Amino acid sequence: MKKSMLLTVISLFWSATLFAAGTQYNLRVDGLACPFCAYGIEKKLINTEGVESVMFDLENGLVIVKAKEGVTLTESMLKQLINDAGFTLRSMSEQPL
Amino acid sequence: MKIQSLFIIATTLLLTSCAWFPSVKEPPYQLVKTWGGKGEATGQFNEPTGVAVSKSEVFVSDSRNGRIQVFDFDGNFQRVSDGGQLGRPMNLTVANDELYVADYFNDVIQIYTLQGQFLHAIGKPGAGPGELNAPGGVAVAKNGDLFVADFYNQRVQQLDANGAFIRQWGTPGETGVWAGEFNYPTDVALSNDGALYVTDGYNDRVQSFSPNGDFSHKWGGPLAMNIFGSFNGWFATVTGITIGPQGNVFVADFYNDRVQKFRPDGEFLNTFGLPTQGPTHTAIAVAVADDGTVFVADYANHHIQKWRPGE
Repeated sequence: MKKSMLLTVISLFWSATLFAAGTQYNLRVDGLACPFCAYGIEKKLINTEGVESVMFDLENGLVIVKAKEGVTLTESMLKQLINDAGFTLRSMSEQPL
Repeated sequence: MKIQSLFIIATTLLLTSCAWFPSVKEPPYQLVKTWGGKGEATGQFNEPTGVAVSKSEVFVSDSRNGRIQVFDFDGNFQRVSDGGQLGRPMNLTVANDELYVADYFNDVIQIYTLQGQFLHAIGKPGAGPGELNAPGGVAVAKNGDLFVADFYNQRVQQLDANGAFIRQWGTPGETGVWAGEFNYPTDVALSNDGALYVTDGYNDRVQSFSPNGDFSHKWGGPLAMNIFGSFNGWFATVTGITIGPQGNVFVADFYNDRVQKFRPDGEFLNTFGLPTQGPTHTAIAVAVADDGTVFVADYANHHIQKWRPGE
């Protein structure tokens, strides 16, 4: 009994930690050439509720978005934001932080 | 007849290739020093994206730190601007003893004293006359008029000193490769005689306009129509431009990791940059002091490079 209570507490703590850490979205964007366009995407994303930070990997055409706990950014939403910034979202992946 | 035609074709091809693949016409520039490094401390940068010079100081857009840092010509830190006003500072201009900052995130041109005191801002977000959408660079005429590279609006605007619209080149929402059209203009510069030079970012070219506003000429690869490359006189995403003391035009050629120098008519003169094995993004903006010393904002290494002309 004690053991199962302990396991429950640990798993709750683990999931709460996971939940609190948010999510990282890795967006592969076509035409990401320089900070001018990267900042244009960042400007769109940073004003989106729940977005904590936006970083870039120009070499690989990647936009790395970190979202706050409990926030989900859908592919269609991100596609639209990238499109509004004048670029095309090629693919995306996400991972818990 | 046939031989004559072949001769004409061969001569034409030869002349064309000479024009499209020019050679260096000056001694090489020498790298004197670099300073900076990534960080938030004074003297460090987080993505420097702009540089300008006064008579004795270097001003740097420390972009992701949201501030302007000032150094002497040897890289010694002097002071930092009031950071509270700035969003994402890009290309800079020093004119009329004031510092003009293109603030990409706030859609304004911020104006400071050279000591770092904020004076006022010009512009507001939008696509209408006098409105800005992610300004990338600014130049200032002798009468105080501002010329703004209005990046997302695909135009260059001329505004008076109070921000009132005078005229524009390019059209919001429209990109193009023909003369007078833009594909994300990143920066502007004015020569002493009032000619306007624009780095037409993703068209990989420079466009020039005469003081009366008419299109003058363009250069950058064959026909200057968005054909990029790494040959002399070609570009791969141009991000900064300035006029040197002799009236020559210096262009930051971002994806080629170099600065290229041209006569005002676009004739290629020289090129310099850090040795690289591929695009490393080491030249995003350029400024030239009165003695010919060149300062380059090195985006990738979070440095400022100082170069001297070859003897």
